Amino acid sequence: MVEENLLVNPFGWGVILLLITASLVSYRVLFGPTLADRMVGLNTVTTKIVVIIALLSVLLEAYFLLDIAIVLLMVNAVSGLILAKYMEVRR
Amino acid sequence: MSRVPFYLKERLEEVRRRVLFETYEVQKLPRWERITFTWLVLFSFWIVISGNLSLENIFAGALSSLIISSFMYDMLTDDIRASGHLIEKIIYIALFLVPQYLFIMIFRLLESNFRVAKHAILLDINPGIVKIRSDLHSDTGLTILANSITLTPGTLTIDVDKKLGEAYLYVHWLNVETLDREKAGYKIKGDIEEWLKKIFW
Amino acid sequence: MIEYFFLALGLLVMVFSTLGILRFPDVYTRLHATTKCDTGGAMSIMIALAIYVDASFFIKLKFLILAFLIALINPMVSHAVARGAYKYGIKPKVVVDMYAWDNP
Repeated sequence: MVEENLLVNPFGWGVILLLITASLVSYRVLFGPTLADRMVGLNTVTTKIVVIIALLSVLLEAYFLLDIAIVLLMVNAVSGLILAKYMEVRR
Repeated sequence: MSRVPFYLKERLEEVRRRVLFETYEVQKLPRWERITFTWLVLFSFWIVISGNLSLENIFAGALSSLIISSFMYDMLTDDIRASGHLIEKIIYIALFLVPQYLFIMIFRLLESNFRVAKHAILLDINPGIVKIRSDLHSDTGLTILANSITLTPGTLTIDVDKKLGEAYLYVHWLNVETLDREKAGYKIKGDIEEWLKKIFW
Repeated sequence: MIEYFFLALGLLVMVFSTLGILRFPDVYTRLHATTKCDTGGAMSIMIALAIYVDASFFIKLKFLILAFLIALINPMVSHAVARGAYKYGIKPKVVVDMYAWDNP
């Protein structure tokens, strides 16, 4: 049973709240004073997007989205490590 | 150690390195046990991720994880040392020590969440970077100790300085209370390090 | 009923993480807010989903795998970012800095 409206479930309200907080954190990505601030903001936004994908896979009953969430989390880890290594070498 | 003359210091370092090599590096596991351990971990991960139990799927997963583990066996099991029976040790760790660790870490994570919320509202912070000492040597034990320190309230690990006999951690602390190394180490690490000493070396 | 409690706890912690990342003064204190609160909130929401969903056993196990990977990866990335930011030349606003004493 696929629900048409997102807001009949408390988990749907969770999706809306997480989208609002992710768009608030993107202030730190756009106007961060240094490079490290932007990296911290990107990491936070990606973690919130992973949680949103997991919530949507339950709400829409499409469980193949969980594999996409796991792959996105691993890509986030690799990109964070590569950018940290770049900052360490660059001075 | 600080009063030793410099021509004796190198000799002493060499002797300590030799003792560490004799006690730890020699007694690694044999090769087929390492390959089997890596294969078990990879194959269980395959079954959980793929999610269906048809015969050809299990056969393809077993074959591919066996190929991978036959030449990557040295990355996962590098820090395991042969002491006693391995299977009894694994059962003891999985049944007694891991639930104890989870029970400690859940309440610490809750406390750290609410303390960060309090600091974000009131902004009463007094940060500093302190240096503490750890007794662990292995890479896996130091990694788990650093991750646990990061998840406990008010602390964040910045760097690890690993020497021969001891390792030092640099910790960013939100509310600096003491600067003494022993008291700060006792307040930051708590009872996590005594737990980690039972498993890692 | 307990899954709604876990969901509310996770969302509250996520909102405080956003407040912390917008208000703290420099990079290292912002890392405190993002790593602790994001890890705790994401794990709480994953446990709530694993209780709530009515599907097969492997799908419930997949949510727990996702929570375990978040708890493993998030502190590691924050540790790498803090070390890289210090080596890049961003000075922390602290009262005592023992890392600068040893690495001048």
